[in-house]
Amino acid sequence: MKDLSRALSELVVERVGFGIFAIDRDFNILMWNRFMQDYSGRSTDEVVGRNLWESFPELPRGWLKRKFDSVFVLGNYAFSSWEQRPFLFKFHHDRPLSGSNGYMQQDCTFMPLVEDGKVVAVCVTLADVTEFSILQREREAALTLVRANADRDGLTGIFNRRYFEEEMRLAFENWLKPGPTLSLLMFDIDHFKRVNDEHGHLAGDMVLREIAARVPEVLPGEHMFARYGGEEFAVMLPGLGLNDAIVVAENVRRAIAEDQIENGEIRLWITASLGVSATREAFTSYEMLINEADAALYAAKRQGRNQVAALHVGSV
Amino acid sequence: MLDCEFTEEQRDALQEVANVGMGHAGARLAQLLSAFVALSVPRIRLIQRAELPAALDEMMSFADNVTAVRQGFKSDINGEAVVIFDGEGMREIAIAFGGEEAQDEHDETEVAYEAANILIGACLASVFEQLNCTLTYSAPRLIGRNIPLAVVVQPDTLHWGAALLLEVNFALENRNFRAHLITLTADESIARLRHALDELLADI
Repeated sequence: MKDLSRALSELVVERVGFGIFAIDRDFNILMWNRFMQDYSGRSTDEVVGRNLWESFPELPRGWLKRKFDSVFVLGNYAFSSWEQRPFLFKFHHDRPLSGSNGYMQQDCTFMPLVEDGKVVAVCVTLADVTEFSILQREREAALTLVRANADRDGLTGIFNRRYFEEEMRLAFENWLKPGPTLSLLMFDIDHFKRVNDEHGHLAGDMVLREIAARVPEVLPGEHMFARYGGEEFAVMLPGLGLNDAIVVAENVRRAIAEDQIENGEIRLWITASLGVSATREAFTSYEMLINEADAALYAAKRQGRNQVAALHVGSV
Repeated sequence: MLDCEFTEEQRDALQEVANVGMGHAGARLAQLLSAFVALSVPRIRLIQRAELPAALDEMMSFADNVTAVRQGFKSDINGEAVVIFDGEGMREIAIAFGGEEAQDEHDETEVAYEAANILIGACLASVFEQLNCTLTYSAPRLIGRNIPLAVVVQPDTLHWGAALLLEVNFALENRNFRAHLITLTADESIARLRHALDELLADI
């Protein structure tokens, strides 16, 4: 029974899917299991009885020695995780086909072997967590993508209203501090319903995408451009006063109107009406900025469309 | 209903074991870190689940956000240990435990793990070896970096009735560094701890 139990222990140590090795107080290797042999390419005969640092000079010696010291001195367990230190030994993982680049990601546990109250050896187990680390990274990448998409409009790829208003709120709070002036353009495609009715919704979508592509080319470096609703768009311009914002708005109007929008057989002349507002002393919330730009937009519509309007010209 | 009440004898014995344990732990830490480590007299309280936040609040004096690392320990007495570092002290901890300054967040987390593991190991081993228990530990895990103390332990996520709370705090010579270690031992493990204390008392 004793023999069987010993044989089982040996079987487990040799065949288990973990690296297991041990060192004594002089850092000589006492034990080196099959996993360690297979992945390091170094046989038990080559390394057992030899010094760890001499056998593996590439090991992170300062860091690893501190780990061992804490086990020897405190008789304590020590750990290392792939998230902080991806690997102890540079082993190739066993997924050369499906796997990512790089080396086997490892979680290590350092355990003291105590005899007569003294730590005589440290045994290290090394778990291959490459699979887990890949899943974890994929999950993080997916989350990042989901978060980024949550801020975007599905059709045009520019920012959506929810994100835009959040950024407006922050920029407005910054202006209240006080910070630099903040301007806003709101614009709406003229007779958009007609485009949809006469050419179909796909043509309407094409117009929205084309405008989302054209407008940023005439915006100053610092801006935030969003689809605000159906055929309505908004541009936040931090640092610009009303007069500068009107110049930008005129450039946007021209960029939309000066060339036909075309896709296959469909060619359309499209125009937009624009309203501009800028922070003024009376403003206490970003919504006031939005309402004023919106009111200016409808003034531009009333005055005949394809033009820029602002309610408080000359006040800034 | 488990009988969790300690007799006065058991309570005294536990406090004594904890005091002696922290003495040993301090000596071990000093040897490892080559610096004097001041450990407070451990405070031990038996609490009901709902009392935990108030008890922690009372024991700890962190005004700002904290970094917290947890680790489980096991023998016939099981429990969980949490080390709570004050946010300001993380740089100091990196120098004391890591030998160099942390370069980035990853380094800082690694140092927090390292320091928590060492503090927990030194203190718990020193206490439990007097009760003839050899502990095994799970790998340290981050509860959170730079989080309010109130988020570290949330009573509605806990599943025990009564627990023994042990708190000790550390200061390191010449360094502006503070950390608290709390360990929680719940329900059945309390009965086992009382049994172990009885055995210790019988040996004296």
